[in-house]
Amino acid sequence: MTDVESSLFGAPTSLLGELDTISDDSNQATTTSQTTSETFLLASGLLGGPGDNGVNRDSFGDATLLNTAQETSDAFGAPSLLAEVGLPSFSYNGLLPEATRPTRPSGQPQTQSQDSFSFGSATLLSQSQDDEFPPVKDILRPFAKTNTSVTNIGASSSTSFLQYERASIRATTLSGKSVLLKRKSKKIDLPSHVKQNQQKMGNLLEVPMHRLLDELSLQTASKLAEEDLNRPPTSTVVHTKESATLWVDRYKPQRFTELIGDDRVHREVMAWVKGWDYCVFGKGKGKSVKRSRTYMEGDSENQDERMRPTEKILLISGPPGLGKTTLAHVVAKHAGYSVFEVNASDARSASVVDERIRPALESGSAVGSTKPVLVVIDEIDGATGGTDNSGGFIYKLIQLTQDRPRKKSRNKSNGNPESSRPLLRPIICICNDLYSSSLTKLRQIAKIIRFQRPNDLHIVKRLKGICELEGMKFEGRALSTLVGVCGGDLRGCLNTLQLVKTKISSSSKSNQTITESIIRKATSGMKEAESTQATVLNDLFIPMSKKRVKDLGLTEDDEAKYVTRLSRDIDACGGIDKVAIGCFEHYATLRKYDSTFSRFLKATEWLSSFDILSGEMRNEREYSLLAYLSYMLVGFYPLFSERGNEKVERPKADWEHFQLTKTNEEIYKSLAKNLRLASSSRHSPSPGAYRHFATEPTLQLEFAPMINRIINPPLRPVNSQVIKPEEKLILKRLVDVMVSLELRFVQDKSEEGQNVYRLDPPIDVFVTYDGKRASDIQVSRYAVRHLVASEIDAQLINRQAEDTTDKKTKPSKSAFFNNNNNKNSNDSSANPTRPNKRTKLDTNSSQIGFEEKIPVDFFGRPIVPKSKSTTSNSKPTSKNMGSRKAEKVKEKVTYKFYEGNSAAVRKPVKVSSFL
Amino acid sequence: MSLWVDLHRPRSLDDLHYHQDLSARLRALASSDDFPHMLFYGPSGAGKKTRIACTLKELFGKGAERIKIDQRVFLTPSKRKLDVNIVQSNFHIEITPSEVGNYDRVVIQEILKEIAQTQQVDVSARHRFKVVVINEADTLTRDAQAALRRTMEKYMSNMRIILCANSTSKLIAPIKSRCLLIRVAAPTETEMKLVLDFVAKRQGFGIDPEAAQEIVQDSGGNLRKAILVFEALKMQSPSLTGPLSIAKPDWETYCHKVADMIIQEQSPERVMQVRAKLYELLSHCIPPTIILKTIADRVVDKVDESLKADIMHWAAIYEVRMRVGNKKIFHLEAWVIKVMSLYKHFCFDIDMDAFD
Repeated sequence: MTDVESSLFGAPTSLLGELDTISDDSNQATTTSQTTSETFLLASGLLGGPGDNGVNRDSFGDATLLNTAQETSDAFGAPSLLAEVGLPSFSYNGLLPEATRPTRPSGQPQTQSQDSFSFGSATLLSQSQDDEFPPVKDILRPFAKTNTSVTNIGASSSTSFLQYERASIRATTLSGKSVLLKRKSKKIDLPSHVKQNQQKMGNLLEVPMHRLLDELSLQTASKLAEEDLNRPPTSTVVHTKESATLWVDRYKPQRFTELIGDDRVHREVMAWVKGWDYCVFGKGKGKSVKRSRTYMEGDSENQDERMRPTEKILLISGPPGLGKTTLAHVVAKHAGYSVFEVNASDARSASVVDERIRPALESGSAVGSTKPVLVVIDEIDGATGGTDNSGGFIYKLIQLTQDRPRKKSRNKSNGNPESSRPLLRPIICICNDLYSSSLTKLRQIAKIIRFQRPNDLHIVKRLKGICELEGMKFEGRALSTLVGVCGGDLRGCLNTLQLVKTKISSSSKSNQTITESIIRKATSGMKEAESTQATVLNDLFIPMSKKRVKDLGLTEDDEAKYVTRLSRDIDACGGIDKVAIGCFEHYATLRKYDSTFSRFLKATEWLSSFDILSGEMRNEREYSLLAYLSYMLVGFYPLFSERGNEKVERPKADWEHFQLTKTNEEIYKSLAKNLRLASSSRHSPSPGAYRHFATEPTLQLEFAPMINRIINPPLRPVNSQVIKPEEKLILKRLVDVMVSLELRFVQDKSEEGQNVYRLDPPIDVFVTYDGKRASDIQVSRYAVRHLVASEIDAQLINRQAEDTTDKKTKPSKSAFFNNNNNKNSNDSSANPTRPNKRTKLDTNSSQIGFEEKIPVDFFGRPIVPKSKSTTSNSKPTSKNMGSRKAEKVKEKVTYKFYEGNSAAVRKPVKVSSFL
Repeated sequence: MSLWVDLHRPRSLDDLHYHQDLSARLRALASSDDFPHMLFYGPSGAGKKTRIACTLKELFGKGAERIKIDQRVFLTPSKRKLDVNIVQSNFHIEITPSEVGNYDRVVIQEILKEIAQTQQVDVSARHRFKVVVINEADTLTRDAQAALRRTMEKYMSNMRIILCANSTSKLIAPIKSRCLLIRVAAPTETEMKLVLDFVAKRQGFGIDPEAAQEIVQDSGGNLRKAILVFEALKMQSPSLTGPLSIAKPDWETYCHKVADMIIQEQSPERVMQVRAKLYELLSHCIPPTIILKTIADRVVDKVDESLKADIMHWAAIYEVRMRVGNKKIFHLEAWVIKVMSLYKHFCFDIDMDAFD
């Protein structure tokens, strides 16, 4: 038997042997099993390094078991015997588990073999993975300590195995004869050389490798834990340079659990960052990936081929001072990233993306650190280029996140290859105003997380803790007042506290408690809660609530003085015009029982003076007047404010009106354009005849209402073939008018899915007020419009045909002028319906005159008709075409294309005939 | 084909139907060598533009009727591009500066300079000068008017200017003094009826005198409107028989509705309803001054004699404010509330201020 073989087989059999010994002498077995397990591991790990040593022999208890059939009693003679007998027995089985089978009682072999299998697999595992050591050991230990303990491997089988071990063994020989095998009580008296061997093994490594590793990891873990424990929860107390740092920095949360605010928000951010783990840290961190993915189960299928989250950018928004930046940093640290921060102090041009962010992302980790990088872009709402498409910061950023197909980058002239590299590191953007215009584009692609103001109680609790650490005394109400004044802004609270502290400590009474009044004094200059248009409007129409009065610490008198307060608010909110509109929209809903309109009169007076003042201010560019504008709106407060007034809604009527006006203006514009250019074609006797309608008030006041009546005659929806003669006249006239004004009926689908004909441009809006059409205009039905539309089409085709015939007159200037004069003379006649017929006749006659000239080439030689197209005449081709077309048109062939009918006529036509 | 208004527009001074003495005067001016700058003014639909066109024809012959329409692009000093439609023949050029709003000065200057610096090349032309027709001259900004005054004198040899305006009140005095003022009054009722008859005859049917009378009365001296109404009427009821209902423009009907609402009830709710209607009117691009005027006319019709003066007085005041301000709706509503309050006071005939 070769070394290799023995060592291979040694693995499972040694286990069996071990069990044997256990049953006999538990005391000894503990030691042996320990040693065997170690040694066997060594042996198997080294793949039969010390092949034929004592361990192997020792473990051949099983081999003896095998060999009892051969009447062999000496355990240590086994190897030699095995060499004789074992070989043949293995040879026909090939595999060890099966080799053991013949010796097993018929009832048990299957379980036995399974067992050995599982052990085998365990050893294999142990070979491949170091951290799997302990389990194996754990498996072995119970065997060693107690016979009865049922291990976690193959519970049922192992128990039966154990039972079997105690009983005498029944075996069936290959010939079918069953043999009862007496258990051999084995005195394991380890021979000296074995012990020596063990010693040798032990010397190799005093403590086995995995234990060392275990110990090491335990040590580091405990060290870390100690570090964590030693650190007081919210401070990295550095009392030495106390005055040097801001409290905001000193008490910045360092750990995830120290963050205050909505836990869900924090976890959401964490989950998103964790969602990158697979992409950033690779497969090795399988566990964490799994966890984070189960957390965001819904997202898991959305992840792309790189297992990144669907949204590549996280956008955190919320009012200032709530800890958005801190959250980003803490989460990044927690998840094992190093933060690369870009904030408002850096330039905000697109070049930042190219020069700094992209390299940081692509190198994957910051300089001098092994951690992967996570980009935090703070205060992104100040960045440029969200709205326009080219070159802005946001645009570049968005480009960065898109794994653009290679095609695009190739189109670029320089075709820089790195621009197509996919984004492999997370980016967190932080903003205050989520709806600022620059973020419009980013909002669509980013995962948005909104920060809410945390519960006041939490903030107060944290502030209390900080005060205690700083050794400040405080009144219970003082801190909650502070939080109220700051509006939940933690940073503001902390700064104020620090200010108070320095104030107190600099004054002599250093042991003073912080009272509400001190806080009030400290915050008096502080900007109050962000005043938006909505809050200003509410302040104008609803008196301050008692609570708010208290929050601001106003007295009765202060409350009564509203002018300064309100005008300041109005100025602060920015959009004074919008406030005015809000006032306008809201005031009439109040004071429903104002019998004499006295309040309303005053209100409108204020509004109109506001408008005049602002109008003048803009006209004369006297913007110093702006300071006075707000006073015009304060007047609403005494007139309308009442407790219990409803909250002012966001003004929208004016905006809707504005939108509607814009669309209508567009329609007017297109109509006016049509009117100006309408009769400029050669078909009209007087080009530009309608231009007088296109002037401002006439168009809206006279033309628009009347033209709607003119183009809506009462027509019956009948086939154009069976139409009555008088109706035909009307129809013809209608079509003429519509064609000349370039009005069309366009087929469209209504909301209900019906086919409708829509007027284009939709000038019928001008007779539609409150969504109803004027009563005296008939609703023109679909069939009628269809009829008219087809007639218009026919007319247009006719025109086109005439256009082509007209073309041939072009070369001759004189003919054109004659023609025109003729036209004019036609106009004065009583029948101006079809001057074009006549012009056609004229042109035909002039054409004849023209053709009679013999065409000559450049050298004055007459040209045969065949090569006509190469004549030196200035416009020879067009002339030719014209004449050819004239013949064509005479035949009056028209084609109609039926939609969906594939049997349309196919005919080679030259492009020129369409021109 | 074209609309009747256009189709039956007189093309020469001889064809004009009324103001014959004016036509004679224009003819005399055109034939003289000394053609002045002119300012045509008069109410809308009286025939100013028709007369200008006729005068041009008288001046230059048929060539003045051969019109082409160009779109020109002007560049403002702030590099904004302005698209302006320019109607021109070989002898004249016609612009509507109100198309470009506040930038009309740029357009006026450019075009006048261009015209003034080019000599008439057509040797067969009857006059050495070209004519610039400026439509809607009363909407010209002050800057543009100022730009006109010097050029009017300087380039007299190459160019004449014909201004066309509804009223002269918005033109600065220097311009008025440089022009020959020609007032084109609205036609009288009989003149308008004559024109309607003429149109009907050319279209090949007769018009009922009663119908003509109704149309004429409805149009209020605006011949363009009268002919448009006439054509609409003909389209709607081809036979022109039976009881005719003259189609009022929809905005007018709507304004009347608003006036009725004001008189029916005076309450804050009604204020809101009226406001919605005013918004609707404004969004249809009806000029706010017209809205105010139409509603005021209607209200005045309906209320007691003693209130009329007051209502009109306030309408005038608010119209002025409206022109100065930006938010038209503020002033319209202010007027509405004023009228409501006046009306209420009048109805109860007591001073109710004491109650509030």
